[in-house]
Amino acid sequence: MSTIPQVTVGEMLRRNGVSRRAFIKFCTASASAMALPAWMGAAMAEQLRHAPRPSVVYLSFQECTGCFESFTRSFAPTIENLMFDVISLDYDDTLMAASGSAAEAALAAAMKDNHGRYVLIVDGSIPTGAGGAYCTAGGRSADMTLRAAAEGAAVILAVGTCASFGGIPFANPNPTNAWPVSAIVAGKPIINVSGCPPIPEVITGTLLQYVTTGKLPDLDENLRPKAYFGNSIHDRCYRRPFYDAGKFAKSFDDEGARNGWCLYELGCKGPTTYNACATMKWNDGASFPIESGHGCLGCSEPDFWDKGSFYAAQSSADWNSAGETSPREVLELVGGTAAAGAVLGVGAAGAGRLRQHQSEKE
Amino acid sequence: MSRLSEIPVRVEGLPQSVDPSMTPAGLGGGIAAILSELAVLLERLAASDETAMIDLRSLPMSAADRILLQRALGDGEVHATLQAQGTSTARETGVAGVWWIEHRDAHDALLAELLEVARFPQILASAPDEIQQAAAALQARNSAAA
Repeated sequence: MSTIPQVTVGEMLRRNGVSRRAFIKFCTASASAMALPAWMGAAMAEQLRHAPRPSVVYLSFQECTGCFESFTRSFAPTIENLMFDVISLDYDDTLMAASGSAAEAALAAAMKDNHGRYVLIVDGSIPTGAGGAYCTAGGRSADMTLRAAAEGAAVILAVGTCASFGGIPFANPNPTNAWPVSAIVAGKPIINVSGCPPIPEVITGTLLQYVTTGKLPDLDENLRPKAYFGNSIHDRCYRRPFYDAGKFAKSFDDEGARNGWCLYELGCKGPTTYNACATMKWNDGASFPIESGHGCLGCSEPDFWDKGSFYAAQSSADWNSAGETSPREVLELVGGTAAAGAVLGVGAAGAGRLRQHQSEKE
Repeated sequence: MSRLSEIPVRVEGLPQSVDPSMTPAGLGGGIAAILSELAVLLERLAASDETAMIDLRSLPMSAADRILLQRALGDGEVHATLQAQGTSTARETGVAGVWWIEHRDAHDALLAELLEVARFPQILASAPDEIQQAAAALQARNSAAA
């Protein structure tokens, strides 16, 4: 265990010349992004000033870097605010200037100096096929690196649907035998921040919430912070009044679509998707997919890639079923994989027909 | 064009005035709910000096809803500007005790937008520890000058 003293956030703010009001502002914006009550901003500012500035290690495995791109585009808090004021980002192979053995040495030093108390952020799934050869760095497989880094971590943030649930690499037929973090690491607190990619402010907000309180947030059954993943997209969607009024767009260019009616019949997965897109939105609150005219793909849910067509209407029988069986799981249960596409197609069409039938009855 | 806010947005279907009778099923239903909540919070402020905040970004509002809310609340007498790593504004609305707060960063991007129900916005007040430090510093300066 290291004896290196940790600098408090307040000390770092003084060094950087950040005023109290500026920090309250930063915390108010962050509290807003963290879906905390608005008055919490000032309370958080006071608490954070006395908190130690934690070491953060960011590891990227089998991924597309979309999650990291998202992370760097957080508006509240910004990644600059976080890095300069609140956290010490000790290893990140995308951002750091060092490379090769110097970078590997930085990782080893961060893990040794902060053993037992660093925050480990992981994005990407972990391929275990071919002895881990599908994803290696510094001569070590993703599996080996994750296990070693997890051992000294205080908490692990699995960022993105790949790290949380396996994501696209895990999708049928999973050629690299990829797994999510929770399938590899045992005995450590894991927070899943899913999404493909996750909302930037959900990543930074979850991190900030942990740094502020030193505790895990309330998590749902998929280990996701309830503050962000507690509501379905459908329940918070501004188009919900049109759903309730039975007004649906039937194609992407019809009158209903132009009037901003509900996209349910065009395959929107909002009813079974839990995320904060409808309230926090994207790109500094500019918009979110449904506001841009496209249905939700359900990217923050397990197996979203294997749940049939993005453009087939869901069956309301699938709603609010946390333990829902995905088409892929159904296939595994019946022991068939060859006819995957055909079965998925039939399932989606069936769901569409059921919805259509219900509409006719209404 | 370098910022999202520079992309022109045209808000369609915006009613000319706020109609309190708008049903919850229509656009603007959420505005009636906010106005009702503000009325309760104002009563509480008047009775017990209890302050409150509503985070506008946490509510599912369309651009039209936002404009409707601004129109419904109107503009008051006080407009304070704060420079702290970017500009913040605290504008008293036409409803006394309801302040519209905007926090922007150094690049003028909107960080937070709140309605604060208070006699004056919390962020404007000087902090007790800073007042103490300032008093000590001023004393020292006066002594040195004397």
